[in-house]
Amino acid sequence: MNNVTKKWVLLKVSSAILVPLMCWFIINFVGIFDKDYADVLGFFSTKSSKILFSLFLILAFFFSNLSISEVFEDYINDEKNKNAANKALQIFAIVVPLITIIIVFNLNI
Amino acid sequence: MENNNPLSPHIQVYRWHISSLVSISHRITGIINIVAITAVCVASLLLGETSYEFTKVFLQSVFGKFIILGLTWSFSFQILSEIRHLIMDMGYGFELKTTKITGLVVIIGSFLLTILIYLLGK
Repeated sequence: MNNVTKKWVLLKVSSAILVPLMCWFIINFVGIFDKDYADVLGFFSTKSSKILFSLFLILAFFFSNLSISEVFEDYINDEKNKNAANKALQIFAIVVPLITIIIVFNLNI
Repeated sequence: MENNNPLSPHIQVYRWHISSLVSISHRITGIINIVAITAVCVASLLLGETSYEFTKVFLQSVFGKFIILGLTWSFSFQILSEIRHLIMDMGYGFELKTTKITGLVVIIGSFLLTILIYLLGK
């Protein structure tokens, strides 16, 4: 299996797992966006929320990294610019979920 | 090594079809969603209570509620469009008529799913 095929398979597997996780996230988001800070922290403090939210974050950023890099492939011709854009995207896709997951798992209510 | 891969022609060169509308909307909603997820992480967890209170007041305004509804639609569209992509990846729905029907299902269904998600969440 070559790298492009691997990338395609990873995109499809992550999108299939992301569909139910997106439903879970948006339903809960609509439910808690106008609640107090303590309620929001309370939501993120349950074990199931921690696991599902972490899984959702990892897959969402992983999926967006792969799919946005496809957009770069389609529209950026200059190799240097494309590599720089992909590197910035990869760093963003690692840093944001990593910091958030660390905070979520250290929440104590 | 020189890159000789052709770039995609700009979307303006094509005549608009339902499939192209769904395709470009899929990309745009994908970017909106990842920005929204990042904003949720930053506003609710990374910046703390003071920042959250500001965000809460904003989201309770009319404009804020419009943003929430817009985001719910964006996620709904992404969910249905992703399912359409997965079905097409299995080899189904490539006929011109079927692509139009499934494209319409995604567009109309995203509004219905937005209402359903809002009712389930509230």
